Amino acid sequence: MTPISRRNFLKIAATSLLTASGAVGLGGLLRFIAYQSEQAPAIEFDLGPAANYPIGSRTIHPNIPAVLIHTESGFSAISLVCTHLGCTVETKDSGFSCPCHGSTYSKEGRLLSGPAVEDLDVWPVELKDNGRLLVRKTIVQPRG
Amino acid sequence: MRPNFFHHLHPPTVPAEQSRWRYTLGAGGTAIFLMLMLILTGALEMFYYIPTPENAARSVQTITYLVPFGGLVRNLHYWSAQLLLVVSAVHLVRIVFTGAYTPPRRFNYLLGLALFLLAILLDFTGYILRWDTGIQWALVVGTNLVKTIPLVGATLYTALTGSVEPGPATLIRFYAWHIFGLTLIAMILMIWHAFRVRRDGGIAVPPPGLRTVSDRISRFELVRRETLAMIFTASALILLSSLAPAPIAPPITEISAISGEVSAPWFFLWVQQMLKWGDPFLWGVLVPLIFLALLAIIPYGFPQPDPSELGRWCPQSNRLAQITLGVIALAVIVLTLLANAR
Amino acid sequence: MPANQPSALRHAQDNTFDFRLFVAAGLLLFSLAFSGWVNSRTPKPLSLTPSLTGQPEYCLTCHADLPEISPAHPVQVFGCVTCHGGERLALDADMAHSSIRGGANPSDLTVVSQSCGGEKCHSGAAAAGRDHIQRVQTSLQSTYAGAIATIRFTFGAQPDLTARLAIAAVADDRIETETGLSALAVFDTSTEDNPSIQKFSQNCLACHLNAAPREGQTYARYTGCASCHAFAPAGAWNSQQTPIHTLSTAIPYSQCNTCHNRGNYDLRTMTFVERSDQPADRLHNYYQPIAQFTRCEYSLDCVDCHTRIETMGDGDLHSNKKEIQYIQCKTCHGTPTELPLTKTLSELDDIAFRQAFLNPILVLKAGEVILVTEQGEPLWNTRVLKDGTYQMIGKVTKQVFTFRPVKGSACTQTGANQASAYCHQCHAVKR
Repeated sequence: MTPISRRNFLKIAATSLLTASGAVGLGGLLRFIAYQSEQAPAIEFDLGPAANYPIGSRTIHPNIPAVLIHTESGFSAISLVCTHLGCTVETKDSGFSCPCHGSTYSKEGRLLSGPAVEDLDVWPVELKDNGRLLVRKTIVQPRG
Repeated sequence: MRPNFFHHLHPPTVPAEQSRWRYTLGAGGTAIFLMLMLILTGALEMFYYIPTPENAARSVQTITYLVPFGGLVRNLHYWSAQLLLVVSAVHLVRIVFTGAYTPPRRFNYLLGLALFLLAILLDFTGYILRWDTGIQWALVVGTNLVKTIPLVGATLYTALTGSVEPGPATLIRFYAWHIFGLTLIAMILMIWHAFRVRRDGGIAVPPPGLRTVSDRISRFELVRRETLAMIFTASALILLSSLAPAPIAPPITEISAISGEVSAPWFFLWVQQMLKWGDPFLWGVLVPLIFLALLAIIPYGFPQPDPSELGRWCPQSNRLAQITLGVIALAVIVLTLLANAR
Repeated sequence: MPANQPSALRHAQDNTFDFRLFVAAGLLLFSLAFSGWVNSRTPKPLSLTPSLTGQPEYCLTCHADLPEISPAHPVQVFGCVTCHGGERLALDADMAHSSIRGGANPSDLTVVSQSCGGEKCHSGAAAAGRDHIQRVQTSLQSTYAGAIATIRFTFGAQPDLTARLAIAAVADDRIETETGLSALAVFDTSTEDNPSIQKFSQNCLACHLNAAPREGQTYARYTGCASCHAFAPAGAWNSQQTPIHTLSTAIPYSQCNTCHNRGNYDLRTMTFVERSDQPADRLHNYYQPIAQFTRCEYSLDCVDCHTRIETMGDGDLHSNKKEIQYIQCKTCHGTPTELPLTKTLSELDDIAFRQAFLNPILVLKAGEVILVTEQGEPLWNTRVLKDGTYQMIGKVTKQVFTFRPVKGSACTQTGANQASAYCHQCHAVKR
């Protein structure tokens, strides 16, 4: 091996080792800062006795946030989170409208005008044996 | 070769003889590297640390045990801080034992001393941030010492703790001092200190006519040496931090209030030992301040080293300064050992 | 290079520097890899957020193999820290266990109030049947006041048999029975001058709920609630053996026998004389050879007849077990002139339902008629059958026993003589 090639080899080797160390360090750094240190918020909400919600009532639960609707066909909970970028929509006579970018939805949560492109989510409502209602923010119910 | 930013931080050339490890001990440079390490790891710890009494110790546990490589980051922060004190002390010894504080370096010597003091305060405030049973008595004793100072003690105590006893206000104040106040001052002084080294003509050397060796090295060589030293120090720190965990203790609860660690952090053990002798103001405040004042007047009130003797270890001409520092250092070491032997 | 040449610039050969940089970079990568290896050796954190606290615990990272403590304490609800204490986030064994309560046994009476206590748990209202801790801490099984009083009276240290001292100082601010005492001071042997009492304190204080048991398999038990409700493996007391992580109300006679029926104290030497036999079968193992007993006494388990109040106390401080033990043969069998007491189960919150839930050997229904004691405690594992006979299901053995009342039988024993000794005259088993 000539001195020059030996020198080049050392240079390249040292640079590669430093680069590898940098990459390892950066990888560890990313894992460090990407740790989720807070628990995910609750996805189940107890809405109290079903008897509190007569047929035809629309009750806003700001902690979910959702509006609980009791119709002839049963209970449903329409999410109040705009499907555009997550602001909480306001209730209007015509339905819902988003204060952030102006998306509007019907009283049933269907999209009326953008920029959002999807309807409001509908969460399943379960009537427990003890007569209380439970909302679970999990699977999106297909609209009937 | 075209000098880059890092080269420009250094003088174009420095005397070769005085750039050797056996003269500088590399202590000043290592201290700067450790400070950078502390700022980096400290910033990372801030992602998870919660400065409230209910959450502080638990969030330290989160970092230590749950965050990926959180234990490593915390250990790096801890060991860098402890080593900074050691390295700063070595640096101070080097400066005094080579007489490197003569004019025009007198002011920079004071800057360095201030930085040493800041390092101690940063170490203590950081230690308190654990807020667990390991630190509670050191916090009580440390803040009560402030109270013993005549005239201003009570005001200083309130300023420090924000209350009549250590509590939530104390934790947030220590946090603010640690991550911002003291760190900001230390950063400014560190830059000023490094600037003054260059401004004052680099490392202390005899005047050109008196030098026996006139070899010099370039800034390129200096940066290379520093690079190597940094990589070696970083490797050693990482190995140390992988093997030796930083201390941690259970959170403070009503039940644990009567137990827990009762020793000061290791760098204040010497003060704790003196406090057993009686008057807290005399032994806990006045004596350490006298030590500090003695160190501060070395460039001003002590016999100065002869210019011809600069650039080497232990000049005859400033023996008194060397003896003074030696006695202080010995006293601190003996007191620390006594406190440990208890 | 000449030494005195001014401004001579010296620097290491590029070659040397490159080599040093290579070594340094190699060391750096090695230290990072080493750190990664150390990191990879720590277990992957396993989190559990019990619904009771809502705070994540990482105990299961190491303790995932433990069985659930009992159906009444599901781990998903209680987690570990509620009972055991400890540092829920720590993955280092020393740190995690640094603030743990009672070592491996959080039910030890020194810490039981923090571990098992609570308004809705085991230090709640007496009316709700949730005052277990208050009752146990005043019960004879933990004060040992009866034995202490008897010995001190025997050796002249006190003028009567009324208890004054206990294993730990204890007070009761609500006396509800005639024999209840307001407070007991701690039994301090340093103030006793009689050598027999001294020997008593050295040799005879291994059988109460605070005490470490005597050595040996037959004595193996924990302390506190777990003395009775957890069945310790032999030698569990001071070994490294994994403790039993199961609480039960189906307590077999063998658990009671870690203290009871093990032998006798010799009053002259003040030493414990172990029973000499080592029988393998239930008939001979249950009681000491000298004892007389009937068939049901050894085929049932102790807890089939003896009630919560008898075993765990009634909340008062007593001087002797006679003041608290009240179940007799007639409690279930009645007398020649009277049938045993019965009760129709009604309220859904009846303590009987709770006991049946904890040990589901049968399904209790409201409307069923069961036997009750004189103090109104439900014998929930019994029922009155339509033909006038009775049924009892063994709480441990699950065996079904059917029995008749004494009334209407050939028995002529008077109602005044109902202590077991009278029944044993005709009904003791031979062995």
